[in-house]
Amino acid sequence: MPKTDLLQGTLDLLILRILALGPNHGWGISTRIRQMSKEGLNASQGSLYPALHRLELNGDVRSAMKPSENNRRSRVYTITAAGRRRLEAETQSWEQFALSMKRVLLGE
Amino acid sequence: MVHRVVARIRGLMHRSQAAAEHDEELEFHIEQEIAANVARGMSAFEARRVALAALGGVTQTKESVRDIRSVRVDAIWQDARHAFRALIAAPSFSGVVLAVLMLSVGASVSVFSIVDAVILRPLPYAQPDRLVALSEPERTNGFPTGNDLLVSPQEFFDWRERQDVFAGLAASAWGEITIKAPGEDFPERLPTRSVTANYFEVLGRTPLVGRSFTTENEVAGRQHVAVISHQLWLRRFAGDRNVIGSQLPGQLAAFEIIGVMPPDFRDPDDTAEAVQVWIPFVPPSDARIRGNDFGYYLRVVARLRDRVSVASAQSRMSGIMKDLAVEYPRWIEGRVARVESLDSTVTRAVRTWMLMLLGAVCCVLLIATVNLANLMLARGMARRQELGVRAALGASRAALVRVLLVESIMLSVSGAALGAGLAWMSVGYVRASLPADFPHAADVAINLRVLAMTMGVAVAIGVALGLAPVRQFVGATTARFAVGSQRASSADRGAVRVRGWLVIAEVALAVVLLVGAALFVTSFVRVTRIDLGLDHRNVLTLRLRPLVRPTDANPGQAPLLRTLDRVRSIPGVELAALGGNGLPLRGDLLTEDFSIPGGVADGDIALNQVSPDYFRTLRIPLRRGRAFTDADTEKSQAVVILNEHAARRFFAGNALGKTMRWKRYGERTVVGVVGDIHYDGPEEPTRPQAFIPIVQTKTSAATLIIRTRAETNNVLPIIGQAISAEYPPGGVAPLHIDVQPLGHYFGELVAQRRVNMRLLGLFGLLGAGVALVGIYGVLAYLVAQRTREIGIRLALGARPLVIVRSVLALTGRYVAAGLFAGTLMAWMLSTLVRGLLFGVQPHDPAVYFLVLITVCGLAALAALVPARRAASVDPIVALRCE
Repeated sequence: MPKTDLLQGTLDLLILRILALGPNHGWGISTRIRQMSKEGLNASQGSLYPALHRLELNGDVRSAMKPSENNRRSRVYTITAAGRRRLEAETQSWEQFALSMKRVLLGE
Repeated sequence: MVHRVVARIRGLMHRSQAAAEHDEELEFHIEQEIAANVARGMSAFEARRVALAALGGVTQTKESVRDIRSVRVDAIWQDARHAFRALIAAPSFSGVVLAVLMLSVGASVSVFSIVDAVILRPLPYAQPDRLVALSEPERTNGFPTGNDLLVSPQEFFDWRERQDVFAGLAASAWGEITIKAPGEDFPERLPTRSVTANYFEVLGRTPLVGRSFTTENEVAGRQHVAVISHQLWLRRFAGDRNVIGSQLPGQLAAFEIIGVMPPDFRDPDDTAEAVQVWIPFVPPSDARIRGNDFGYYLRVVARLRDRVSVASAQSRMSGIMKDLAVEYPRWIEGRVARVESLDSTVTRAVRTWMLMLLGAVCCVLLIATVNLANLMLARGMARRQELGVRAALGASRAALVRVLLVESIMLSVSGAALGAGLAWMSVGYVRASLPADFPHAADVAINLRVLAMTMGVAVAIGVALGLAPVRQFVGATTARFAVGSQRASSADRGAVRVRGWLVIAEVALAVVLLVGAALFVTSFVRVTRIDLGLDHRNVLTLRLRPLVRPTDANPGQAPLLRTLDRVRSIPGVELAALGGNGLPLRGDLLTEDFSIPGGVADGDIALNQVSPDYFRTLRIPLRRGRAFTDADTEKSQAVVILNEHAARRFFAGNALGKTMRWKRYGERTVVGVVGDIHYDGPEEPTRPQAFIPIVQTKTSAATLIIRTRAETNNVLPIIGQAISAEYPPGGVAPLHIDVQPLGHYFGELVAQRRVNMRLLGLFGLLGAGVALVGIYGVLAYLVAQRTREIGIRLALGARPLVIVRSVLALTGRYVAAGLFAGTLMAWMLSTLVRGLLFGVQPHDPAVYFLVLITVCGLAALAALVPARRAASVDPIVALRCE
């Protein structure tokens, strides 16, 4: 299955979705995106961190430096209530969008 | 919103810590990625390479995180550097802008520092708005100024006793004392005020050190106490607090120092020469008696009681004055009591003048701003391609605005800084050229208020100018800039219209400034060309004032006459004479009451005691009869010479052989009539004058008037030797000498006009010059805009002359509109300064004609280069350039 580049604006949605499952660090998030999309989506790691910081400035996620498995500190991100609301709203509109695309493309 | 701000501020404040944490985060990511890659079976080297590639460059990632986190300080700094480079890259543009700003800001800061010191700053007293000045001008006069503000002691004491509207009423009189400490060679003259004991109390100021006077000090014998100025305290006593009780070595009497005033204390009637010493005013023995001698020499200041208005105080004082007029009919005759706010009496004489200067300098600043807006517009046009490219590359509109704003603010602030520097250098010069009686002249300086104003104006100009080109981009598409087309679009036509208005405004303001300049230059020329009736050039005056009264041991007049004889024999001295009781143009004059036997007329007449060569030395022409000679002695016939004015007024022009009587000089026969002189200055009318031989009086103080042939500096030491031969230092008759060329006093009289002429002339030139640059700039731009059109027309066979004519016609329209508006404004504004003009009407046709011609000439000059450029457009190049 070929890897698909992300549509503009969908990275935020993916990050929020992953974090809704539980707090995670940047590397963990990028791994989970690959896993959950069954290697179908390739979140460019270069755009991941700017996106995380942007989300934090927006108040959708919080972060804190925490010790990790291998004795190094890592920044761990947690979704906020505002982030959950945004996830919900954007998931709905994404589903709406995907449905519409499907109808048009498949002529349903 | 709040956490966003907090996060950004944190990002700013803990920048290094935040950066370290981000680095740590990325390192953690890379390590995890490498570990995962190794687990998939890659070599360590390969695992690292792939991990880094996946991140897409560590540095880029760091950068983009920082962009999100930090406030745009970096960006602004970057803009500043960019702006600096852009300004350096356009040296002629930046140079013109800086020069225009420097000159206009420099001029306005200088003028504002004067205006600030003179009329804006509140008087340095407690509750200055409760202070009033009292005067008794003659009813015929309008608002009193100068000498009309003086009050006689008789009135002052009666007012003080009868009034119930003032909390206090104080008086002060001009004076000076001469001090000389034992070791010093030369005495020092100190400007002094004799003041009533409550003077400082009424003004609401107390000494910094020591105390002020009590009413006890107003009694003769106890008056030898002094309060000194802060400046004198620092200069002569090194600011020593133990100065209280020490002596101020006056040459006539020593004064015990009892107080030191704070540094900012000024007298209400302060001038360039700040008062150094205050001594008690001891009322003369006849201060309560209304005899024959009129003497007005007190300045009276009063503090209103609570809840008393100036108007009610005025009506109370008018009532008191009416009562006095009934009690002393001949004395009060024709005089009224006037109460008005102290502030307005101090500055009235110069208020119109100051406001006019302020207005003129505002015109200059306006022209400069208009011109700069024009330049910025042109530059904005020239840069549309660059800005378009930036916009296409993703710069937001806000970023473009920021770039332009940073650039123009940078430019205007540096221009203002240069202007402040210029003003700082010139303010000393301006202060020195102010008239000597200018109020608060000593306080004229650039202070924080002035600097704050400068910077405020600069930033305002910067923002205004920065926004001018921005407006061009609003509503326009990115693509249009990027094309950088020279074709005129509708937006361009809008810009052209704006420029048209700017040119009209510039021309109009330049006309106003030039009319002002022409009016004041004409006034100055008329004043200096007026025939004074005497020749003040090459005349040196030495005022000789013995510091002690003549006694048996001190013969009085004899050394004076012997000094004159010595001076006359000095080579280089053409003529020399003595004149007592004042000197023409110097501002001092004594009048004496006289009567004419047979009683046809009596009154007072200005009277000088003079030596025989007086008229020849000053070149006052003899009209009838004879001048004085050495044959007029103490024992010969008592004689008098009148001027034509007096002869006409008292003897219907037929004065020779008539008799006049003075109380002090006895009966005298008129033996000659001389020409009239403008004794008080070119703008003052002539007055009746009488001259009597100095040898027939007891005068021991006079002014030595010397017409020199040689360079004054060469003669002066020899004159000095002649004087000290007769008045040996340390002898029985210590002398105070003021040396000035007579021309100096004339210069003082026309100083205000000279300053006015110079400043307004300068502003006129500045305004005209800047307007010239502005017209040139706009036309050059228009021609550049139409290069293609002109090319087509030339290619189709239009003659260059037609092209030139079309450019000139465009100029003509703008200039004509500007001339019309400017003339209208000048016409209305000039009537406001009618009182400041001399010998020229505010609507003098010649002045307006000259200005119109000048502006037309300048406009033609400005249009010449662009017109020639238009005519020399090469059609091929013009058509190919797109």
